[in-house]
Amino acid sequence: MNVGVAHSEVNPNTRVMNSRGMWLTYALGVGLLHIVLLSIPFFSVPVAWTLTNIIHNLGMYVFLHAVKGTPFETPDQGKARLLTHWEQLDYGVQFTSSRKFFTISPIILVLQIVPTSFSLYMNVLSPTHLPPGQALLSCFSQYFIHV
Amino acid sequence: MLVAVLTYVGYGVLTLFGYLRDFLRHWRIEKCHHATEREEQKDFVSLYQDFENFYTRNLYMRIRDNWNRPICSVPGAKVDIMERQSHDYNWSFKYTGNIIKGVINMGSYNYLGFARNDGSCQEAAARVLEKYGVGVCSTRQEIGNLDKHEELEKLVADFLGVEAAMTYGMGFATIFSMNIRALVGKGCLILSDELNHASLVLGARLSGATIRIFKHNSECAIMEGSIVRLPEVIALKKKYKAYLYLDEAHSIGALGPSGRGVVDYFGLDPKDVDVMMGTFTKSFGASGGYIGGKKSSAPVPVPLKGGDHELWKKSTDVASGFRIASNNLPLCIPQELIDYLRTHSHSAVYATSLSPPVVEQIITSMKCIMGHDGTSIGKECVQQLAENTRYFRRRLKEMGFIIYGNEDSPVVPLMLYMPAKIGAFGREMLKRNIGVVVVGFPATPIIESRARFCLSAAHTKEMLDTALKEISEVGDLLQLKYSRHRLVPLLDRPFDETTYEETED
Repeated sequence: MNVGVAHSEVNPNTRVMNSRGMWLTYALGVGLLHIVLLSIPFFSVPVAWTLTNIIHNLGMYVFLHAVKGTPFETPDQGKARLLTHWEQLDYGVQFTSSRKFFTISPIILVLQIVPTSFSLYMNVLSPTHLPPGQALLSCFSQYFIHV
Repeated sequence: MLVAVLTYVGYGVLTLFGYLRDFLRHWRIEKCHHATEREEQKDFVSLYQDFENFYTRNLYMRIRDNWNRPICSVPGAKVDIMERQSHDYNWSFKYTGNIIKGVINMGSYNYLGFARNDGSCQEAAARVLEKYGVGVCSTRQEIGNLDKHEELEKLVADFLGVEAAMTYGMGFATIFSMNIRALVGKGCLILSDELNHASLVLGARLSGATIRIFKHNSECAIMEGSIVRLPEVIALKKKYKAYLYLDEAHSIGALGPSGRGVVDYFGLDPKDVDVMMGTFTKSFGASGGYIGGKKSSAPVPVPLKGGDHELWKKSTDVASGFRIASNNLPLCIPQELIDYLRTHSHSAVYATSLSPPVVEQIITSMKCIMGHDGTSIGKECVQQLAENTRYFRRRLKEMGFIIYGNEDSPVVPLMLYMPAKIGAFGREMLKRNIGVVVVGFPATPIIESRARFCLSAAHTKEMLDTALKEISEVGDLLQLKYSRHRLVPLLDRPFDETTYEETED
C-alpha cells in the first residue's frame, strides 16, 4: 500500500461520499444514534429527537465543514489543504447528488421533531388544543423562558 | 451491500480512534512517535502537515508490517524473508535474526520465472560481467553506448515487430522522460486511463499538456488484472487520427501465445500502435525499460478545436496507455521517433545507461522466449504461465472469492474490502509461509481493498495447490468468500453423450 502514491484520482476524498453504500451507512449511523438515545430512560421521545438532531448536526459540522484538508497526502500539491470536506466533494461541482443528499438529510431530521412532539404535547401535556403554529411555539417556548 | 456498510463502519471506527489517540498524543498522555518539530520551533510556520499524516499515523502504522518486508534471497518462486518483530506497535522493527525460508512468493512480478540465480541467463550475465564490469559510468550520449546496447535494441525491435527500439536504465524513467517535452507539450491533449500507473500520470502532468481522464470501463491496466480492448482502441485511434501509447510494463512476456504482449494476445499488427513502451523488470528478470517505434503512415496532426468533445468520448485504454492528439506534435514519421528520442529524451542525455550484466540478462532471456537459443524453454514458460493463470483463477472462483480482472491475466486481485482484513490476511498468509501483497485505500477506492497475487511460470502445480489450500483456510477464517455466484467445478473428463450438464444451484 503506497500512501501518497500518484494515481489519476488526485483527491480520493472527493469520491468517498459517492461510493457504494455510503449513504446507507450514513442513514444507519444516524438511526443507531437515535436508537441509543431513545434507550436512555431519562429522555422522552421529543428530547431524544432533539438530541439526535443536535449531535448529528455537530458531528456533520465538524467533519464536513470544520476540518480542512485531507487525512492523507495527495499529489495535488496542497490545493485541498484549505478546503473543507464539503468544498472538496466532487471537486467543487455544486448540486451533485451527494451534496443534495447531505443537504436534505438534516432538514428531514429536523422535520421529525414536530410530529412527535406535537402529538405528545396535544394528547398528554396540554388539555387545550392550540392551533399548530401556537403549539409549535409553545413547544420551544419553554427553552426561551429566561429571555 | 452489507460488506460495504461494514467496511465504512470499520473505517469510521478507525477514524474515531485515530482522533482519540491524536488527542491523547497532543496532551502527552500517549507517547508520540512520529516526527514533530522541536519545542522552540513551534512558533514558526509548521514543518509538518499533521492532518495529512492522520491516515499514515493511525491506519497505515497499525498494519505496516505487511509491507517493506526485507527478503534475502533471489525473488523466484520461493523466497526467504527476514523475520522482524515490533514491540511498539510497528513504529520500529527489530530483526530477530531468524530467516523464514521457502516462502511461496505470490507477490513478485516474476511472470516467466527468469528471476533466478542459476541457469543460462545467469552464466551469460556472469561472463559479460567479467568482460565489461558492472558500471557504465556514462550516459548514452556520451561514452556509455556499448555494443551490447546496440545488440539489445535490435533484439527488442525484432521481438516486438517494430522498426527500432530504444532502451533506458529505469522503467519509471522511461515514461517520465519520454513525455516531458519529448513527445507532448502545451497544446497537446492526452487521454489517459483512470488506472494509469504513477509514472504515466506524473509524466503527463509534467509535460504541460491538457489531460482528460476516462473511466476504466472494462479494460484496465493489467496491474488490476484486466486487459485492454486493443482492437477497439486501434479502431478509435484510426478514426480520430490520434496516436496510441501503449504501456506494456506488465503484459510484455506474460500475455500472448508467444509472449509478445497484448498485441500478440489479440493477434494484431504491432505497426498499428505508435509508441510501444515496456519494462524489462517484470518478465525478463532484469531492470530497465524500452520504447519501440512503429512504422505507420505519417499521421496528420489533428488541430483541436475548442469544443471538440467527440475526441473525449468513450475511448478505451490500452494496458495503461493513453492516446495523444496534438496540433503541434514534434514527430512526424515514426521511423524518426527512435532517432528523435535518442537526441531529445531526457534519460538518454542525462541518465546512465543500462549496466552490461543486466543487458546480457535481457538478451539471454529474450532469446530464450523467442526460441533463438535453440531450446523450447521459452515457449514452455509462456504456456506454463497461461496454464497456471487459468487454473489458479478457476480454483479461486470455485472457492467463492471475488476476483477481478480478465481470465488470462496473471495478476489476480482478490477482494478483501474491510480495512482490518488487509492486515489480517497479510499476516495469516505469512504465518502459513506464503508471501502476498495487499493494497488498500488510498491506492484503491475506499471500499475496494484487495490482495494481489502475481503468478509465475516458476510456480509448480504443487506450489499452487498448497497456496490455494492456505488461501481457502484463511478465507474461511476471515470470511472472505463473498461471492454469491458459485462456479460449478468443471468436468475434467471429456464431454460425451453420457455425461449430463451440471446445473448451477
